[in-house]
Amino acid sequence: MSIAELFHSVQETSAAVALRESALVYPIILSTHLTSIAIFGGMILMTNLRILGLVMRATPVSQLYLALRPWKRVGFVIMVTCGVLLAGCEADKYYPNSIFWTKMTLLAAVFVHAMIFRSSVYANPRAMDVRVPQIAKIAAVTSMLLWLGILSAGRWIAYWDPPIARIAPVSQLR
Amino acid sequence: MLVYDPATNPLNNNEWAFPLTECIHIASMALSIGTIALIDLRLLAPAALAQKPSQLLKDTELLTLAGLFLVITSGIVIWTTDPDMYFHNDAFLFKMGLLVAAILYNYTVHRWAAKRDPQGVGGKVVAMVSLLLWIGLPFAGIFTAFT
Repeated sequence: MSIAELFHSVQETSAAVALRESALVYPIILSTHLTSIAIFGGMILMTNLRILGLVMRATPVSQLYLALRPWKRVGFVIMVTCGVLLAGCEADKYYPNSIFWTKMTLLAAVFVHAMIFRSSVYANPRAMDVRVPQIAKIAAVTSMLLWLGILSAGRWIAYWDPPIARIAPVSQLR
Repeated sequence: MLVYDPATNPLNNNEWAFPLTECIHIASMALSIGTIALIDLRLLAPAALAQKPSQLLKDTELLTLAGLFLVITSGIVIWTTDPDMYFHNDAFLFKMGLLVAAILYNYTVHRWAAKRDPQGVGGKVVAMVSLLLWIGLPFAGIFTAFT
């Protein structure tokens, strides 16, 4: 099964059809996706700004980082669940969309980012309480750039037009 | 008499300007709603954060203000692309009412409560109302587009 066929079969599931045709459920899921950015994106932002020493300087980095981590995980699950539902119900439209794949690549980069900085930054947050090392600041800046990129790509998916070349020639339509 | 024609708006004449403004609008929600929600989280679940609500308020109030400035400014810019359409959109009108209510609530009741570090149910009610008001805004924003 090719990826295009997989996407098509996802879109054809009864759940996806029902969601696509619902005038109310679709915008509610989209709103939840957006609200997650506001609330849990705010937590990502605050954590990174704290690592950079720009906010809440009286609070130890590890305290804020460890306190917000479980909430950010909850937020991530809500955000991804909504995202899968939104893309899944219109999978055929998303498959050729290069901005969608840019967003998926950036999401994958978030995991690579977590792996890269795990041992040096995230595995031992208490090390940042005395003095925040340069590598942690690099991790914070790249994290913010990645999420800003994901947010922007998410919005831009709606503005992608299929290239003229991909539209089937008239001969194939007959 | 001067008549504003949206067709002359740069956002309607540039492929990048409109989506970019939308991205700024969304990102500044994390700054505004995100920081307010942090105080609400602390009011609802005192064990979630070590800082007292009054301390969190002091730590975040400038960011909240900056976020509100950005989210409202970008919102106004989006609105100028088709003002009449928005004025005839019920979800948009509801959103504007909600925005006024949320800002008033935030700088009166919410601020007053957060400064007093409430322990009991009162603080939780204040936080729930705050969350409902602010979460209502992105919802009303999406429904503006679907109306």
